[in-house]
Amino acid sequence: MLILGVGCSSEEEASSDGDNSEIANDGKVNGELEIQYFVGGYGDSWWKEVIADFKEKYPDVTITEHAGPNINEEMRSRWVSGDPPDVVYIDGAGSSETQMVEDGQLMNLTDWVKDVEVDGTPITESFIVDPAKYDGEIYSLPLVFDTWGTWYDETWFEAEGYEVPTDFESFMSTMGDIQEGEDIAPFVTTGQHPYYFLRGMLYPAFGAAGGDQLLEDVITGKEGAWTSEPVLEVMKKVEQMQKEGYIDKGFGALNHTQSQMNFLLHKNAFIPVGFWLPNEMEKDKPEDFTYGFIPSPMQDAGEPFAVVPDLRPLAIAEEADNPEAAKAFVDFVFTKEYATLFSEHTGAIMNINGVDLSQNENVPDYLIEANAMINDPEQVQIYQKPHPMSAELETPISNALVSLMLGNITAEEFTQQAEEAAAEYRNSK
Amino acid sequence: MVQSKKQKYLFLAFCLIPTFIMFSIFTLYPLFSGLYYSFFEWSGSSENKEFIGISNYIQLFNDEIIPMTILHDYFLVAAKVLGIMVLALFFAVALTQLKIKEAPFYRIVFFFPNIMSVVVIGILWTFIYNPSLGLVNSGLQFMGLEDWTRPWLGSEKWALPSLVLPSIWAGIGLFMLMLMGGIANVSKSYYEAAEIDGANEWQQFWKVTLPLVWPQIKISILYIVITTLNGSFIIVQIMTGGGPNNSTHVMGSYLYEQAFVQYNFGYGATIGVMILILSLVTVLILQFFMRRERVEY
Repeated sequence: MLILGVGCSSEEEASSDGDNSEIANDGKVNGELEIQYFVGGYGDSWWKEVIADFKEKYPDVTITEHAGPNINEEMRSRWVSGDPPDVVYIDGAGSSETQMVEDGQLMNLTDWVKDVEVDGTPITESFIVDPAKYDGEIYSLPLVFDTWGTWYDETWFEAEGYEVPTDFESFMSTMGDIQEGEDIAPFVTTGQHPYYFLRGMLYPAFGAAGGDQLLEDVITGKEGAWTSEPVLEVMKKVEQMQKEGYIDKGFGALNHTQSQMNFLLHKNAFIPVGFWLPNEMEKDKPEDFTYGFIPSPMQDAGEPFAVVPDLRPLAIAEEADNPEAAKAFVDFVFTKEYATLFSEHTGAIMNINGVDLSQNENVPDYLIEANAMINDPEQVQIYQKPHPMSAELETPISNALVSLMLGNITAEEFTQQAEEAAAEYRNSK
Repeated sequence: MVQSKKQKYLFLAFCLIPTFIMFSIFTLYPLFSGLYYSFFEWSGSSENKEFIGISNYIQLFNDEIIPMTILHDYFLVAAKVLGIMVLALFFAVALTQLKIKEAPFYRIVFFFPNIMSVVVIGILWTFIYNPSLGLVNSGLQFMGLEDWTRPWLGSEKWALPSLVLPSIWAGIGLFMLMLMGGIANVSKSYYEAAEIDGANEWQQFWKVTLPLVWPQIKISILYIVITTLNGSFIIVQIMTGGGPNNSTHVMGSYLYEQAFVQYNFGYGATIGVMILILSLVTVLILQFFMRRERVEY
């Protein structure tokens, strides 16, 4: 019923455009529709179900799926030659929303999105986190609400009596206990992709220390942001973790799967990763392992946890051959029903608020707890970044971050290097 | 006679034209397109390209990472040439001149890594070097050498040297076989004559074997240099991704990062042009220094 409602809304919207040759007189969306989606830790079962339902609703639309773990590379030549698919889910290696917007590859959805509804409520009021804006314009709709946080093994912690951290102070204290009790470095991340630490630990820390404004300043490389006092304080915390020997000395060589394996094998106790972790490592999880999730505890005592969602958006190509079918598909996807299904299929959250997962037996416990926590402002404060950081800035900052975490530079030297990278980034724009 | 000459040229054209067409499509075209794109600012993922003249080349000369990547490349070249040639020569001589019963078995063992994909080799050695689960650190601990354990690929100091071992391991077999072929062609009469003259085995190696397999050694060295400058990218990409903190980036991996991670495809193409130039210059210099009269006895 809900789908029907949204479908009708879509048809009305499409028809109201008036200049659309793809819409038949009977108001049906038809023609060919190409969809590109990355298949990573979340798998593809949700996509298959959604697409099958869409086909049922719009039998006159022929859908071609371009999907896989390397789909961004495989489809590159199509985008370069100006023959992109109609709809694209932007996620995974080789994709960059910011770059696509800068290259003019995505359709401006600012006006269209105003009339889209989710189960009768305007979509603009239904997002947990609003769409990224580029000079005030919207080019994509945030589909997946990926929250980077810190994972631990609940069973292990309970058995050994380790306290689950609630702030940076207790985080350090628990890591100290684990180091002493297990003779391991408690914290691991992937050094081959240092942005995991940047997005999983530093962004929440910056959010907690300086709110959305500080986040925006560091992401856009604003002059003086990286050498500012709150950033230095955060980096001092990282330096402290390194000096205490809490960061695995071998992290620099680990790719994301290896670091996750280390974590599952109790070679380390904490890892900052997104919600895809349980789904991705499903086959490797030891039997007595129970995923526990907290927002990264980088905030000072007495403050709520900070979460900075990493949104994976759905967009329509500027040069889409069938923009109306593409709009109908995007419209179709954003419902509470599919948001619930998404959590069931992937163990993650879709970016739609008001979805009740608390009684859903098909959703893993960690997600129910995380969902409840994220929706409780007393426990968790959500900070929002304006858009993803450009790879041109993220790469040099990530490199300096590795040096800091290896103990080769100080927090002050890191901020200086980051500031220089930001200056170079500003000059290149 | 005229007819026969015409037929000859027709036959030559018939043989060469398809080859030239393939060469043009798969070698010349990418080469010139790389050169063409190096004059553009282009993300590599859209139609939008902006001609910027030699700006990418100016950026190349001001890029602080580039000298580091060149040094890393030549470090790998030197280590691989030295390691592979010394070991390949040693094993080739041992397996051809010493009467080892299991020689055919060893030949297979040494050649085995050559039939493995570089990707597999990279992944395998990544596990071997794993700081907490890997063979290297476990072996050192087992031998009581705990102080020697370190995060091999995770250390800015040790990551690049750690890449040398898998590269040598993967390369010995092929060059060993090439040298064995050369050694097998050396007439036994030279060794008999040397023996009669009182030369010991070491002297026979220096005075007979080495000079007579020099052509194979020269080709092997050139091959190692070219493949390292152009191909070490794969092992770097798999084992370290150029990190930690650029400490293992070679020109190829830096090209990849610029072109496909940072979306500076035009600049990536410029780095590609530089790799080509450096490879050519290096090979020419090596050819010059390795020129030598053919030895005949």
